[in-house]
Amino acid sequence: MNPVTTTSMFQRHWNPYLVLILAGILSAGYFGLTSTVWAVTGEFTRLGGEILELFGVDVSGWQYYQMVKLDGDTLTRADGWIVWGMFTGALLMVLLSNSFKIRLPQQKRRYLQGFFGGIVAGFGARLALGCNLAAFFTGVPQFSFHSWIFIIATGIGTYFGAKLSQTRWWKGRPTLTRGTVKPSKINNRVIQPYLGVALALTYASLLLYFFTTGKSLLGLGALFGLCFGILIERGQICFTAAFRDLFLVGRSLMSKAIILGMAASSILTLAMITLYDLTPITQVAALSTLVGGVLFGFGIVLASGCETGMMYRLMEGQVLFLPVFAGNVIGATFLAYAWDHLGIYNVLVASGKKINLINSIGPVGAIISTLTMLAVLYGLTLYREKNYHRHILLKRAAK
Amino acid sequence: MEKKKEADFTLDLRGESCPYPVIYTLEALESMNKGELLQVITDCPGSFRNVPEEAKAHGYTFAQEPVKNGQEYLFYIYA
Repeated sequence: MNPVTTTSMFQRHWNPYLVLILAGILSAGYFGLTSTVWAVTGEFTRLGGEILELFGVDVSGWQYYQMVKLDGDTLTRADGWIVWGMFTGALLMVLLSNSFKIRLPQQKRRYLQGFFGGIVAGFGARLALGCNLAAFFTGVPQFSFHSWIFIIATGIGTYFGAKLSQTRWWKGRPTLTRGTVKPSKINNRVIQPYLGVALALTYASLLLYFFTTGKSLLGLGALFGLCFGILIERGQICFTAAFRDLFLVGRSLMSKAIILGMAASSILTLAMITLYDLTPITQVAALSTLVGGVLFGFGIVLASGCETGMMYRLMEGQVLFLPVFAGNVIGATFLAYAWDHLGIYNVLVASGKKINLINSIGPVGAIISTLTMLAVLYGLTLYREKNYHRHILLKRAAK
Repeated sequence: MEKKKEADFTLDLRGESCPYPVIYTLEALESMNKGELLQVITDCPGSFRNVPEEAKAHGYTFAQEPVKNGQEYLFYIYA
């Protein structure tokens, strides 16, 4: 038997706590090395701009593209390589574990739901200036206050998303058949791990090329992107589930792991900021953060995945996430258009302010308040889980 | 070897993504009579973990260990 497939490391999913704490440490390290954060949707917006330019649309005058800097192309931007690195890292794990399979949803409505949810999530994320990464997992450790608003808003949005996804017309009826159904026949020709090794070698030479030709920023983007992709796939990290499953089935695993990962990342990031005298990355906190966060939360539940979760699921062969990806890019690009052309900036953003906790209450106050906020979130998570299960027990006892 | 009990019902979830495998599984179990056996076939990687964990958390028991069948998992759960 193939030695790679028998290695248990690739046969099992990794503990989400371990994975998210590692991701938190790595993202703090990436910030220390490059002064930028792990983020993806900004690049989705740029991708949308590049596609429009292919069709002859001149987006250079759009304010949003001046703000997020549309220079070069996706292969000459470190942010671009974060995205392609994540796709590669996820695909690599999928191939090495022999788990790629084209998965087509039985419920055809999922494609439309994914596309629609993807648009709403892409639009909301960019309106708030970040998705579950820059306005959440890597936003909190930057002590950017906009991420606090974003987390609460995402919670509200996912709540309504969960409500909608529980309605019969949305979730559809499963096919429950009588008796036993034969599972799929297993294909004994295992070729995916070999493709995985080929991919790893190709990507390693690309990294070597970047670092030996003085393109170390691209190299770092490609390397960290790869690691993030590996981690999110192996840990099955799902920010959508962190909120949604608490509301749907009282499941708390992902929320707790994300909160601990953010705590680790916050402490390390503060160390980076003080040791190397770095400027934390702060985004505007405004009405747009609240509205964007609610839309984002609502959209990710409808789409069954956020911008990060979509990436590894697509690599696993879950076809549903093709329309989600397309929706994300379309939603983000539409926001870039609406920013100045439809007056979104003036109505929702202009009155806002960049608030960084380090500047407003000092580094000690910043870390204490951040850890307190995370502890409160952790407490709320436990409370919801307990409450749900008490309710279920009563319901089963009454049955 | 003792002959395994035949499943009374099968929930074929191949192709469905999260959270629907969990929702559908819990719904199916709720609709069945106590003691009946449900076979679940799923291929969403997220469900390999959340389906068995949530079935247990909701008070259901397993007839046997989960079976890994290529890129899918089979679960046998008593309602």
